[in-house]
Amino acid sequence: MRSRIQLLGLVTLLLATALPLSAHVGSPDVFYEGNAGPYRLFVTVRVPQVIPGVAEIQMRGESEGVRAIRVVPMRLAGPGSNLPPTPDLAVQSKDDPQFFTASLWLMETGALQVRVLVDGAQGQGEVSVPVPSSAQRTLPMQKSLAGLLLSLMLFLAVGVVFIVGAIVREGNLESGQAPSDSRNRRARRAMLITSVLVAVLLFLGKAWWGVNAADFQRRVDFFKPPAAALNFVDGHRLKIRVERKDTRTERAEFRSPAYLHLGDVIPDHGHLMHLFLLRVPDLGAMWHLHPDPIPGDAFVVDLPDMPAGRYQVFADVVDPRGYPWTLVGSIDLPQIAGKPLAGDDSAWSGAPLVAPATDSTNSPIPDGGHIVWQRPTGPLKAGVPMEFTFAVQDKDGRPARDMEPYMGMAGHAEFVRSDLSVFAHVHPAGSVSMAALELAQDGLSNTAASAQMPMPMLSTMSMPMPEAGPLPPEVRFPYGFPQAGDYRIFVQIKRGGRVETGVFDAHVQ
Amino acid sequence: MADSISVASQVPARSAAQVSAATDSVPWYIWSCLIAVISSVIGGAWDISRHESVGRDTFWTTPHILIQLCGVISGICCGYLILSTTFQKNPPLRANSISMWGFRGPMGAFLCAWGGVAMITSAPFDNWWHAAYGLDVKILSPPHVLLALGMTGIRFGTVILIISEMNRAQGEYRVRLERLLFFSFIFLFGMTIGIAQEYTFRFFMHGATFYLVAALIAPILFAAIAAATKHRWAATITTGLYTATHLAFTWILPLVPAEPKLGPVYQKITHLVPPDFPMLLIVPAIVFDLVRRRIGGWNRWAQAGALGASFLASFITVQWPFADFLMSPASRNWIFATNNFPYFVRPRSPWVLNFFVPTETSAAAFWIRMGIALLAAVIMIEIGTRWGEWMREIRR
Repeated sequence: MRSRIQLLGLVTLLLATALPLSAHVGSPDVFYEGNAGPYRLFVTVRVPQVIPGVAEIQMRGESEGVRAIRVVPMRLAGPGSNLPPTPDLAVQSKDDPQFFTASLWLMETGALQVRVLVDGAQGQGEVSVPVPSSAQRTLPMQKSLAGLLLSLMLFLAVGVVFIVGAIVREGNLESGQAPSDSRNRRARRAMLITSVLVAVLLFLGKAWWGVNAADFQRRVDFFKPPAAALNFVDGHRLKIRVERKDTRTERAEFRSPAYLHLGDVIPDHGHLMHLFLLRVPDLGAMWHLHPDPIPGDAFVVDLPDMPAGRYQVFADVVDPRGYPWTLVGSIDLPQIAGKPLAGDDSAWSGAPLVAPATDSTNSPIPDGGHIVWQRPTGPLKAGVPMEFTFAVQDKDGRPARDMEPYMGMAGHAEFVRSDLSVFAHVHPAGSVSMAALELAQDGLSNTAASAQMPMPMLSTMSMPMPEAGPLPPEVRFPYGFPQAGDYRIFVQIKRGGRVETGVFDAHVQ
Repeated sequence: MADSISVASQVPARSAAQVSAATDSVPWYIWSCLIAVISSVIGGAWDISRHESVGRDTFWTTPHILIQLCGVISGICCGYLILSTTFQKNPPLRANSISMWGFRGPMGAFLCAWGGVAMITSAPFDNWWHAAYGLDVKILSPPHVLLALGMTGIRFGTVILIISEMNRAQGEYRVRLERLLFFSFIFLFGMTIGIAQEYTFRFFMHGATFYLVAALIAPILFAAIAAATKHRWAATITTGLYTATHLAFTWILPLVPAEPKLGPVYQKITHLVPPDFPMLLIVPAIVFDLVRRRIGGWNRWAQAGALGASFLASFITVQWPFADFLMSPASRNWIFATNNFPYFVRPRSPWVLNFFVPTETSAAAFWIRMGIALLAAVIMIEIGTRWGEWMREIRR
């Protein structure tokens, strides 16, 4: 009994200490908006807590005429990406015919995709949603079930002892004979020996259970964001590697196909790594930089002018199989007289985030214009998929007419919880990695692929865009806050050759 | 018997043996338990095949129900048998029963009832396990082992029900029961071989671990059935029946169309994936029956040594080259079924690419483990013989 209680305690402790971590940080669910042929869809994939497990999928048809939706799980690329199992038919809501739900088994960890097949008034459409699949935690056993199982285990353990005793006492007696005293003594000895054996077996069983639980926990740990080993070198450069702390991590490397080597990562919307430096604890400054790879599984970046302080680092990369990873670390930096920002690098500094956050919807930008969050009325709720719409205005308050693609897309948004337990780098296509999205295209038919993503930036815009000229002055991001708390949202767009960053604070219930 | 006391006055007028002999019919509870066991055997083979072909989508699949029916049927039947033997006035089995916690019933009934409880316990345990740690796509997990223990309890209990009846019977009726015993014993074969399945894939067949596992599971059963029945061909008959049953699954299951419901899918599936072709245990079984009748006068351990060595030698002699055949294109047909892979097997798996996976890191490790396998075979022969001799004495 004590061992079972200890196990339950361990399981509860694991639950309490494990954060739901995935491709981003603390934000495992997948939000995607894109075209399935002629139909525009908003797809939310709630990744299960354990793998294999059941993912809950919600799909909203943003175009009219969607009649039926089917979903299929597959590998994102390579083996397992070209033999679809029988599709599951999504359930259409009776109240809202454009809303569909499905429950889908995810049998493996790593880079998967959910293929969404749409049938409707305009024919068929298909879209692929990359899903980073990882186990997040161990679920505890309910007390009632634990009590039931414990009782049954005791019954079985005691039962087998008494059965052995009865067998030894009477099993080979002729009909009608009663056992003698010597048989009774022998039976008692047999019961004693069996009791010891059962106790040993239960002890070994508990140990084996512990091995299984530890193995599962290793799988959970395996997909946690890797720790970033950060080195400040040459007075102005930051070197980034994956921290490898113990042999357990090294062993895990051989078990999974998706382990991270920085020398193997693939480009994700134009860069091998997207590095975010956030001044902590106030989140009063942010840099979005793009380090270059160097030999030895590492990246390096020349830092711009930065004040001395402590900085939180989030570094987004995508491994060759399309699984997105976010390296996490922090570093104390001295005052840096660095190089000017260039290329796609950008920075912002301003007011600190003060908890509890005061909701803000209007963020000024340096040229006198504003980015305005068209925030829905009412409180923001955790776990609710929504579209975050931001309008960009010039200094006269008119819709901006000089919007340009920033790294191939209409905008980038970073959602950061005040305690840094959540970090999500989101695009107009959602929380999916753009590199994974490109890998997923290989498995789609040419028509479906072009419908989903003729170019990342074009397909991921929330509104139809002309082939040339400025982008629309509005950008949308499909996302859902994973948990309650205070958040800072960094929205980055490009206008007239300049990257502008708007900052919004939100309190989520 | 010296260590028993005659209480003839307590014996009911008609014992179970007398009843059975008079009616010359196998008791209903033996048939019930056999039906329960067959249900779990069919359910188990179907379930494994379904997991490999379609994947699990719900607990309430037909094979799962068939497996759990085993626990339900045997639990109800043996529970009734125990209650009726305990509380009925002059029950026919009272004189041939054992007592526990104030209840009386045949020894096998208690074992079956225990197995039924264990099986039913494993169901919520297994469901929780999947919810807590994810669906385990493997045979050896704690809830699966509890399920296997329960099924083993029922299968062993059924064997004991039959053998106690057989040990009390005479003439033609005893012969019929002996046939039933051979039949019921193949399910113990199936159970132990099924549990060890993950160590007996064909790509392990050129490693010593494979032969060590075989030495742990087969000789004990050969020796037990031979000692329990004294039939000249006991091991051969039982192993032959087991092999025929296994082949039936290998050949019948692929006739059922199926396609995966879960993904990712790495192998194209059009029908239920059958179990692998059975190990050639029939050869060492024949050798066992031939050798043991020639060494009956030797002392126990000398017999065990000879039988253990002949088991390992004959099994290696046939299985090692047969493994080469199973890896060759000539075996990729419906008879040997080596061209069937579960949907989740990677294209670069040794299963698909047909190469042997070494289970020992060096030649020395190989030979040391082979030596351990020989020792295991000898010890298992002796354990099996003692087990069989014990079963031959069972009366209740």
